[in-house]
Amino acid sequence: MESILSCTLALLLAPLFPGVINKTKAFVASKKGPPLLMKYYTLAKLLRKGSVYSTSSSFVFKMGPTVSFAAAAMPLFFIPLAGLPPLFSFQGDVIVLFYIMGIGRFFTIVAALDTASPFEGMGAAREAFFSMLAEATIFAVLILFYRMNGSLSLAEYFHGDKAVSLTGPAGALLLFVIVAMFMVLLTENSRVPVDDPQTHLELTMIHEVMILDHSGPDLALIELGAFFKLFFYSAFITHLLQPLTSFGALANALIFYGVLTLVYVAVGVTESTMARFKMNLVPKYILTSFTLVFFAAILTMGFLQ
Amino acid sequence: MDTLFWALAVIMAGGILPFVLYRQFRMMKAAAVIVTIAGSLLGLLAVLPALQDTGPPAVTWSWQHFLTLSFSLDALSAFFLVPIFLICPIAALYSFHYMDHPDDAWRIAVNYFFFAVLIVSMALVVCADSLITFALVWEVMSLSSFFLVVHDFQKKETRSAGYLYFIFAQTGAMCIFAAFGLIYSSTGSLSFALIDQLPAQTKLAVFLLALLGFGSKAGIFPLHIWLPHAHPAAPSHISAIMSGVMIKMGIYGIFRIYTLLGDTSLLFGQIILAAGMISGVLGVVYALGKHDIKRLLAYHSVENIGIILIGAGLGMIGIATGRPAMAVFGFAGSLLHVLNHSIFKSLLFMGAGAVLQKTGIRHVDELGGLIKRMPTTGRTFLVGSISISGLPPFNGFISEFLIYFAAFHGLTLPGMPFLLAALAIISLAVIGGLAAACFTKVVGIVFLGEPRSEGAARASEAQASMLVPMWLLALLCLFIGIFPEPFVRLAFSGLRDMTLLGPIEPGTGQELLANLAFAARLFLGMVIAVTLLRKVLYAKKKIASGPTWGCGFTQPNVRMQYTGTSYAMSVVEFFQPFVKIRAAYSGIRKIFPGRTTYETHVDDIAEIGMTRYLVQPLARTLDRLRWIQHGHIQLYIGYIVLTIIVLLLVF
Amino acid sequence: MINYSDAVLVIILLSVLIALESNRMVALVKIMGLQGIMVSLVPLFLPQHQELGSGGIIFFQIMILIKGLLIPGLLYFAVQKVAIKREVEPIIGYHASLFVGLMMIMVSLFITEKLQVTLPGGHSLLLITAITTLGAGLFLMMSRTKAITQVIGYLMLENGIYLVGTALSKQSHTRYVVEFGVLLDVLVGVMIMGIILHNINRAFDDVDTALLGRLKD
Repeated sequence: MESILSCTLALLLAPLFPGVINKTKAFVASKKGPPLLMKYYTLAKLLRKGSVYSTSSSFVFKMGPTVSFAAAAMPLFFIPLAGLPPLFSFQGDVIVLFYIMGIGRFFTIVAALDTASPFEGMGAAREAFFSMLAEATIFAVLILFYRMNGSLSLAEYFHGDKAVSLTGPAGALLLFVIVAMFMVLLTENSRVPVDDPQTHLELTMIHEVMILDHSGPDLALIELGAFFKLFFYSAFITHLLQPLTSFGALANALIFYGVLTLVYVAVGVTESTMARFKMNLVPKYILTSFTLVFFAAILTMGFLQ
Repeated sequence: MDTLFWALAVIMAGGILPFVLYRQFRMMKAAAVIVTIAGSLLGLLAVLPALQDTGPPAVTWSWQHFLTLSFSLDALSAFFLVPIFLICPIAALYSFHYMDHPDDAWRIAVNYFFFAVLIVSMALVVCADSLITFALVWEVMSLSSFFLVVHDFQKKETRSAGYLYFIFAQTGAMCIFAAFGLIYSSTGSLSFALIDQLPAQTKLAVFLLALLGFGSKAGIFPLHIWLPHAHPAAPSHISAIMSGVMIKMGIYGIFRIYTLLGDTSLLFGQIILAAGMISGVLGVVYALGKHDIKRLLAYHSVENIGIILIGAGLGMIGIATGRPAMAVFGFAGSLLHVLNHSIFKSLLFMGAGAVLQKTGIRHVDELGGLIKRMPTTGRTFLVGSISISGLPPFNGFISEFLIYFAAFHGLTLPGMPFLLAALAIISLAVIGGLAAACFTKVVGIVFLGEPRSEGAARASEAQASMLVPMWLLALLCLFIGIFPEPFVRLAFSGLRDMTLLGPIEPGTGQELLANLAFAARLFLGMVIAVTLLRKVLYAKKKIASGPTWGCGFTQPNVRMQYTGTSYAMSVVEFFQPFVKIRAAYSGIRKIFPGRTTYETHVDDIAEIGMTRYLVQPLARTLDRLRWIQHGHIQLYIGYIVLTIIVLLLVF
Repeated sequence: MINYSDAVLVIILLSVLIALESNRMVALVKIMGLQGIMVSLVPLFLPQHQELGSGGIIFFQIMILIKGLLIPGLLYFAVQKVAIKREVEPIIGYHASLFVGLMMIMVSLFITEKLQVTLPGGHSLLLITAITTLGAGLFLMMSRTKAITQVIGYLMLENGIYLVGTALSKQSHTRYVVEFGVLLDVLVGVMIMGIILHNINRAFDDVDTALLGRLKD
């Protein structure tokens, strides 16, 4: 019951946190910035509207937002939130989840190609390439976690007695994971320095250009899905950072959401202090994250003999 | 066993009937198709009991003392018979409308004949129970498939693809025969039973030789060169059979020789795993680089053979290091992927065949927008694409998941096996990502967007006998994805007779499979729920349609669409040292430049390497021996006499 | 609690990796500074080096000063003043460098296992880090064109040697004397390099080692 509540809370709060990023960026730039609830207003506005569909597109284009939204919402049912066990969990759920996110991406890409636009094709190509590299990092993280606690489910990574933590044996290796997962977060959620959600030139975009032709409720689904995805990755990192000791239910929730906000603030600070990479440097960037984790995974051979 | 032979006899009859009926074109096709389907169903009926418990006793035929053929049906054979009897009738049905040139009736009759021979010989290969039997039916299989490849023998490229295939098939067969010769010289018996008593050194030599031979049939990386040539040359239903079923005979051979050798050394597993990883990753990279739709699919076969071998290699390592869970999941994932690949790959080849038949265009970058003109082909191809990318809730994911699971079990091993298991996981992840990239390319460029050429714009939907097989296979993909349990049991039952593995506990993986099925259904349910939600959100809303937003450009045309080449190029460039990209750019020279051209080709390093370091030196050396071949018949007789004398003197 | 010595070693490995892939000179120099500080901190966290006399404390302070501030500072000065182009200009690309880094750590793992040294207190990670740092330093020297990257590679090599020494020795201050000597050598090397670079720069306005190759007779 508590898990259902906590999951619902997460689903409802997900659009709030991107507002934190924007506030941070505005603060760094000494601006006032949009209100914290801006994303809710945008979603409400989009849901009220109708849509325009390109004559080039087919049913695949309409399936894109649906599938990608379902795929983005799934992981939130499986990840422990605020010190509570998740709704569902089983051995091997991480593999299933990352593959389900894969099918979401598949449909986003295919929907982009369905519009017959050269720009959207360009964005699709980049998304396919970069996410392929990011997938390698993610699975290297799974390898490391399996070495550390011998399980394959998000619930056991972050909840219960065997949970991985900085203070555990070989916990120092989690430093690698935190850095690498933060890099993956920026990549997968198309943030600076990989992609700039605020840029004005379609040629330089990745994710934004792919959804150029979506409008109305379809666009709202995509946006909301993107918020869920960002929330999932941030929660992942939060679990690595936060201390394991459990206090009360309320204190746990407060600590969790506090650290989560810090992760979003870190994203905002990164966005304010860095420029977007040249496209040809992005693979190197993602590859670095992979190497970091794989490094750590190999090091477990030295640690855990 | 008798039922099986009856089934094969019926299929053979289906191959001979067309010779009688070839004057009535439609009747001939109908007769061949119906009889083949009936025979295959009978065959499936014969296989089912063998899957449940131990198969019928072995059958032996003797002829003139020296030729003794023996056949038996154990669990592994029974498992491999399933894709044969499942895919072949579906491909036969597809051929009814695909082979649509009444002028070539005789040639098509010949095609049906060899089609039947191929099915029968494949079934016999997996049932063969002695060295000589195996060698014989293996040759029949290679030859019949060669004749199927050169169906369009008037075209020069078909002929050269045929020769290439012939050379690879025969060289591979030679390696297999060499392995068999080694076995015979050591045991003095042609039966399979004594192979496990070979000395360890010989076992390794036999295994490596057999790996070369079976690998060239299966398409393991440096030996895969014939695949991307032969598959485009053959008619599409033949490509479907060859890629979906026949190359799996190579996998069967590897499984069989491994079981027979009964050697649990770590080296075998490491070799197979390494071969699998290389084939898997490079196969899909080349697939991305290729733009002939059938050639691309052929490279995907290399990739999937790689995945199958990764599973098998993990299983072997599991056995060598005493991890039963790793071994069971590795082998089961591998076998299930054999079945899955045969389903979605034949589906994709059939879709490609339909596109080819209706547009006459092979090159991806000249197609486009076909899903509006060929809705069924497009939808089923989309299903096949998702399945082959290994994404849930379709079947490819189930087998890949089992292999992942085996690899994760391997992570607790120390030293080298740990590294290999970790690399296996990484390569599976990379293969998955690349395959998704490649199939978004195919679906997006071929079926979506706007047509890029006249041919693509004029396409129409294929006929019913081509659509029904595609629907069947697509539904099967989804069904296995949502109800994986019976099919994984099937794979488990295929492992029953593997003595190295020991008996599999009945409860293995039950919970896991239930959970997998749950996740797949949950996701499917979510998608349906969101679709309904979307319906609600769009109720009573204004929906308009207009041109695609051109980002400010006012005169977009279809030639401006992103092409498959540019879509894939950045990924292919990333793998640069392993992939050769040849670019030719005319450059801009004059003040008023004329026509500029830019071309890129992605060359296969295995092909380049083999030409440069094997074929050319060989051709040079053999050129010097030309003088032996001079054309005087008297001297040839002299050679014969000389040879006989030398042989008599020496031995 | 967090195992601090492991954390420090992990940060050193991180810095090695980032040094292999960084494409900006300034970033590279900053990372070397971080690495220098971390390397000089390592002995403080090792159990067998716990008790320190006042001499030891002064030694570590000087160590941090030189490795973490002085040498990187000089390098920073060289990069800024000598107007070297800010790109690193590798001979071997960044992707390949990263994979070399991976290979290096694997190899050093196997070397550590092979050596079977009786390391005090199970510090195999220390030796792994040391060998990796050493190898990466050599690799940096081999695979980058600029003279200044040669120096940085040499610095990393020195860090590696220092770590190897720390790993293999029990607490004894005599070793630090030797170590100190090496460090001074490096320091002098960096200074000389700075001066020479400055002069070369004034004379030729390019400091690519590929061009230095032409000086051979």
